[in-house]
Amino acid sequence: MSRPPGMTGVVEAAAPTRARQVVAALTRDRLGLLGLVLIALLVLTALFGPWLAPFPEQGAGLADVARHDLPPGGAHWLGTDPLGRDVLSRIILGARPALVVPILVVALAVLIGVPLGLAAGYRGGRFDEIVMRIADMFLAFPPLLLAMVIVALLGPSLLHAALALAVSWWPWYARLVRGLTAALRDRPFVEGARALGLRPFTVLSRHVLPNAAPPVIVQASVDIGTVILAVGSLAFLGLGPQPPTPDWGLMVAEGRTYVMTEWWLSAFPGLAIFLAVLGFNLLGDALRDVLDPRSVTR
Amino acid sequence: MTPGAMPRFLLRRAGTALLVMLGTTFVTFLLARVVPANPAVSYLGPKARPDEIARIEAQLGLDQPLPYQYGRYLWDLLRGDWGTSIGTKLPVTDEMFGRLPATLELLLIAMLLACLIGVALGVVAAARQNRFLDHLIRLLAIGGVSVPAFWLGLLLQVFVFGGLGLFELTGRLDPDLEFTDPLREITGFHLVDALLTGHLTALSDAAAHLVLPALTLAAYPIGVIARMTRASMLEILAADHIRAARAYGLRERIVHWRIALRGALPPTTTVAGLTLAYSLTGTFFVEVVFNWPGLGLFASTALLNMDYPVIMGITLFGAAGYVLVNLIVDLVQARLDPRVRLS
Repeated sequence: MSRPPGMTGVVEAAAPTRARQVVAALTRDRLGLLGLVLIALLVLTALFGPWLAPFPEQGAGLADVARHDLPPGGAHWLGTDPLGRDVLSRIILGARPALVVPILVVALAVLIGVPLGLAAGYRGGRFDEIVMRIADMFLAFPPLLLAMVIVALLGPSLLHAALALAVSWWPWYARLVRGLTAALRDRPFVEGARALGLRPFTVLSRHVLPNAAPPVIVQASVDIGTVILAVGSLAFLGLGPQPPTPDWGLMVAEGRTYVMTEWWLSAFPGLAIFLAVLGFNLLGDALRDVLDPRSVTR
Repeated sequence: MTPGAMPRFLLRRAGTALLVMLGTTFVTFLLARVVPANPAVSYLGPKARPDEIARIEAQLGLDQPLPYQYGRYLWDLLRGDWGTSIGTKLPVTDEMFGRLPATLELLLIAMLLACLIGVALGVVAAARQNRFLDHLIRLLAIGGVSVPAFWLGLLLQVFVFGGLGLFELTGRLDPDLEFTDPLREITGFHLVDALLTGHLTALSDAAAHLVLPALTLAAYPIGVIARMTRASMLEILAADHIRAARAYGLRERIVHWRIALRGALPPTTTVAGLTLAYSLTGTFFVEVVFNWPGLGLFASTALLNMDYPVIMGITLFGAAGYVLVNLIVDLVQARLDPRVRLS
């Protein structure tokens, strides 16, 4: 190692070992593997949706009234809706926003929450107090309620739903990272880095953050599933994308009117949400068993 | 536990909860008065006349400095003046308290179902650790926390009511009953009122209406409770007193359901309480799907129609309920588990 001491980050619990543990555990754990398969399916559908959909124009919203309300079967595997649009195509085209939007929401929540948590945990004192009390105020609302209200105030759209969810999600990361940072702050390697006269930013980014990252990564990967469910829920209430967007939650809501006779209109888009969320939860469950066998829920 | 430790702990937790509640009023104040371009218009709806706007501006004190407005807002909340619904023209507090029993009845029955089913699944899974049934229950539990409530509700409507003809589709009571043999409202909880007045038809009808929405709402807590029960059962089954019980020759059924479960219940109770708080939002979706005349249905209608006073009222009310349930969970946990430090 040619770099001067104190300039390299000390990552405890040797990262390669942990990575190997994770891979080993996932291949041993069949449910975790099932989760990976579901996520892979979702990613592939999101990437290649426009080429996979049997009726791409209809999927995007073009009506074909001649073939309306067909039950599943024939050319339309999952049936058609009252406007004659192919349900399967709409589900396939809905995969991209269903995956990308939650990833952006979690990324934004991480970008807000992690720096605040790092600073609060490291500096302590008044700053810590203020940040965490603000976080507490956000966490005092039942999950999703704050996001629903913000979307209603801004006006329903997918962008507003995403922003509202990010705004109500960051406190979780702030709280998680603050706890990890406060625990790491007095560890010898961090104290050493400080004693060398490194600036707080350098200490945090080189020495604290790498050690706080694994739990954050696990949490973020589970949260993508939770946010898929949250976006779908907002869309179902009408607080998300508007027709004729091929959105899963919106499709469930639109099909509700006809659900007793044309069950496929709501059943299949809802199944898509369920399988996507299930994939992330199965994966997260397997990861948690490896990284922290004691915790069951957040 | 030293004498006096519990009341002091209780007081401190209650004090924190009050502070957090104060914080939530600050958030709702910002959302109600500072975020919208014209709060008076948002309070009256888009069709407000200029004289009405002037009146509400004076009433809300919108020309005053913000700290003064916040003080007024808090004072009005304390006095019980939470505004008037744009949709129904009735006081928000009346609307909320009128609908509260419907939501609570649904929530409590769902939690009862969730505790029974969740604990049973958890005990069975622990008894069959790493065998097929254990894996199946784990998948079921993760499925329960992954399933969108609004979708599960629709599926139950289509396949259980539509397909099997079981239970009831929507609402709380058969509407015909109101004309033939009305149920007298005492508590607002239909099951309780039917029992109190000895109205057996209404009792079975209300129960039949409750099954599908309660099952839908219970899916998430069932998953969480089953997992927690399994985890704590496994921990306890490894303990010495269990080995002793087995050495005495007690049957496995007794060891699991009588002895081990007793030790596994405290953490399970905590988790059940936390998911109860979580399920507050779940009622929104279940009530919409099942047309259940509670707070959630009222709130989601208000959200779409921009019924501002109702939105703000429900938000604050929901936060209060959430903070309260979490406080109770903390206290119960401290009571049940002496290892919880009272500091």
